[in-house]
Amino acid sequence: MSDYLLSLDEMKQVDDYLEKGYKIHNVYENLSGMFVEFERQQIVSLPILTADARKYFAAKLLEKTLV
Amino acid sequence: MADLRIDLAGIKSPNPFWLASAPPTNSGYQVQRAFEAGWGGAVWKTLGEPILNVSSRFAAVNFNGQRVAGFNNIELITDRPLEVNLQEIYETKKRFPNHAIIVSLMVEPKQEKWHEIVKKVEAVGVDGLELNFGCPHGMAERGMGAASGQVPDLVEKQTFWVKEVAQTPVIVKLTPNITDITMTAEAAARGGADAISMINTINSLAGVDLDSWNTVPHVGGKGAHGGYCGPAVKPIALNMVAECARNPLFNVPISGIGGISNWQDAAEFILMGATGVQVCTAAMHHGFSIVEDMIDGLNNYLDDKGIASVMDLVGRSVSRYSDWGDLDLNYKVVAEINNDVCINCNKCHIACEDTSHQCIDLYTESGRPMLKVREQDCVGCNLCSIVCPVDGAISMVERKSSIAPMTWNERQSLISNFAK
Repeated sequence: MSDYLLSLDEMKQVDDYLEKGYKIHNVYENLSGMFVEFERQQIVSLPILTADARKYFAAKLLEKTLV
Repeated sequence: MADLRIDLAGIKSPNPFWLASAPPTNSGYQVQRAFEAGWGGAVWKTLGEPILNVSSRFAAVNFNGQRVAGFNNIELITDRPLEVNLQEIYETKKRFPNHAIIVSLMVEPKQEKWHEIVKKVEAVGVDGLELNFGCPHGMAERGMGAASGQVPDLVEKQTFWVKEVAQTPVIVKLTPNITDITMTAEAAARGGADAISMINTINSLAGVDLDSWNTVPHVGGKGAHGGYCGPAVKPIALNMVAECARNPLFNVPISGIGGISNWQDAAEFILMGATGVQVCTAAMHHGFSIVEDMIDGLNNYLDDKGIASVMDLVGRSVSRYSDWGDLDLNYKVVAEINNDVCINCNKCHIACEDTSHQCIDLYTESGRPMLKVREQDCVGCNLCSIVCPVDGAISMVERKSSIAPMTWNERQSLISNFAK
């Protein structure tokens, strides 16, 4: 999968979790990329590895902070 | 007709174009001819303790047919008696009272040495002094020039000693041979400098002769590092000027130096915070008459922009220069190829395919070879437009981002809230 398609897929997953009402529980980064833990009844971890999707998630995080 | 007069820390000049302290300002004959040609000011070649020079002294770096893309020298300060220089400075000032004569000085880092030379030079009537804390070769081996200019405490102390006795504005000329030039600029300001100038030359070896294995230049088979200047150093100098101009810890006028060859270069330095500019290599390459085009060009530019005085141009781009961490991560440009203009040399495709992000596709349309950018994969690096030999064939165009502006620093601040 191209980086572009991979980033679209990762962005969609971010949107899906947020639309389903998941809260952002934790965010951490390591050499592989960003890992976001979403929480509703349970915690799920989403790896966000592409640069564009990591930018996208940061924008979403800002939106949530401003709400 | 715009007003090109400048006032740099009280030094008035009919235009912002000064000759830098260097071989072109070695004598009264040269400086007077320069003023006749139109230069607004001159920084007299450095006066100091008696020295001896070697032969040969200069070397140039040519690049792809451009002669003197860079220039290297191992010449030292003036080798003429102080009294001869002072007499010629006096005569030149008398003949050109409205032009700026600044005298470059370099002595050992001792209070009495600085006091002595400052008093003697100011006695003949000069408009300002420039302290040479930048010369990287020869004099530095004796603890002067760049050797003292690389030590902030010495910059501050020597500036202070000069200011103890100086009656005219004091410009401190800084060396680029240091990790962070703002450290020495700040030291100069602490010492009481009225202005700073930058950059002096960069440590360099112009080349090695592949037949003789001698350095270029060499002195009887032996070489030593010199000072590099000319067009090649302009980006380095421009950054250093900008870093000083935007630094909030000190606020002194700047005289910009480094590869300035035409009015456009000068305007860039002025936009980035220089009140005036100093030129050397371009004058050595093409002669004093280049100043005519510089004056005309800058004047026309200001008229076109509707700016009445060059002083109103000073620093207008400084606020646009920032830290990388404050740049918008979500700003987006992409390459756009105009196939009507493209000559199908494919340099963009090769550059992108081999060394960038592989987003320029080759295809044919009605038997004609074409190029197209896959926008979704283009990161807006500019490489294709840089290597393209045809003006207008590749444009970098803005694409509105669907996500809000955000800098790296803002992003890190957000994420740090989750740090555990």
